[in-house]
Amino acid sequence: MTTLLYHHPVCAEHDMGYGHPECPERLTAILDALRKPEFAELQWREAPQAEQEQLTRIHPAHYVERILDSVPESGLYALDGDTSLSPQSGEAALRAAGAFCAAVDAVMSGDANNAFCAVRPPGHHAEPHRAMGFCLFNNVAIGAAHAQAIHGLKKVAVIDFDVHHGNGTQAAFWSQPDCMYISTHQSPLYPGTGRRNERGVGNILNVPLAPYSGTAELREAWGTIIMPALNDFRPEFILISAGFDAHQMDPLAELNFTFEDYAWLTQEILDIADDCCHGRVVSGLEGGYNLQALAASAAVHVATLLKATNP
Amino acid sequence: MYEFLQYRVKDAMTPEPVTTTPDTPLRELEAIFEEHDFNGVPVLDDVGNLIGLVTKFDLLKAFTLTPKSIIPHYDDIMQQPASSVMLLEPLTVTPNLPLSRALQRLVEMRVKSFPVVEGERLVGIISREDVLTALRRATEHMQPGQGA
Repeated sequence: MTTLLYHHPVCAEHDMGYGHPECPERLTAILDALRKPEFAELQWREAPQAEQEQLTRIHPAHYVERILDSVPESGLYALDGDTSLSPQSGEAALRAAGAFCAAVDAVMSGDANNAFCAVRPPGHHAEPHRAMGFCLFNNVAIGAAHAQAIHGLKKVAVIDFDVHHGNGTQAAFWSQPDCMYISTHQSPLYPGTGRRNERGVGNILNVPLAPYSGTAELREAWGTIIMPALNDFRPEFILISAGFDAHQMDPLAELNFTFEDYAWLTQEILDIADDCCHGRVVSGLEGGYNLQALAASAAVHVATLLKATNP
Repeated sequence: MYEFLQYRVKDAMTPEPVTTTPDTPLRELEAIFEEHDFNGVPVLDDVGNLIGLVTKFDLLKAFTLTPKSIIPHYDDIMQQPASSVMLLEPLTVTPNLPLSRALQRLVEMRVKSFPVVEGERLVGIISREDVLTALRRATEHMQPGQGA
């Protein structure tokens, strides 16, 4: 058993313009780090394009159509002030969502214990009806819905440690008691959602962290709030919105997570997954905008996933 | 230092300072800061009454990360009017206030300058630099050892 790495070259061809922080180089930096000898056991898989029925479990068909129809033949098409489509964005977005579904299939079939989707565009800001914050389709929510629809799982949890709140995932899960959404994020910060009192039907757990929070605050929140809630919920599958922009070197926020924090957090999630759901974990990339910190944080995260499968 | 204690704010302030209006775009304010090396510019209404103060700090603050957008956009922010970032009802001093008291307040409030007003009318601005200059001027004629 091993860890799978889902990726596709087209995900590095989605390009929102010169200097944009959500840039192709993010993926290149991560993949370069994962080609080092210590990741020799990692099995690389091509991310397939998501099927229409996979997307429409979260997004209405007219939304999917509008996004794909808006992809320009050249240049950029702006969806909001920070989110644009380039000629390869449609296929990249389909493969980003498809990666999560394929990874869920592989883990459920026993091909691997866990998987990491090194894909972009990211997804957790994409609401069912609205692209925003660099996100087009909500990859992680699509993966969760796929796990329920195809594999007969009832309870699925998404853990989101990106520095920004995943408003899109929260919106998709809002009235779904069997889909738990847990987020640690800086507050105040974009997109302004994620207050503690946003609880859905009791399935949403927001843990806002004040600017400059780091190791101590993360571990306190995990131990006193998140772990007990996950133990109560007992998910049958865990997905991770793995953004690495809470790292202390990130330019778009002010949290102070370290590489060790990402290793620790990943191991904590794996331990819960072992206890609740045979270690089934699918993780996928969200944010992270300092290329060096991003690559090293993602490497630490994947190394921890890999260690779980090769003890 | 005895002479310094005789000074009033009006003895050390910069009279007739550069001012701006609430509608002035931040881009023009930045040009004022660039040209004059001021830290703050008083904002006056149509009839010349002081309604606010805009500083480099306020300009920087406009670029901090907020829930409104994931990335602050330079051109959009620089088009905003001074009124969107200025400090309303800034702390002020009067021309006849002893300068020693103005010094005290600059330190206690950790601000860089006070607009000087008579009623609501702006008559000057008193800054850290103005007070430092006044301290030097008040003591420069003295012999060594007479500093007290």
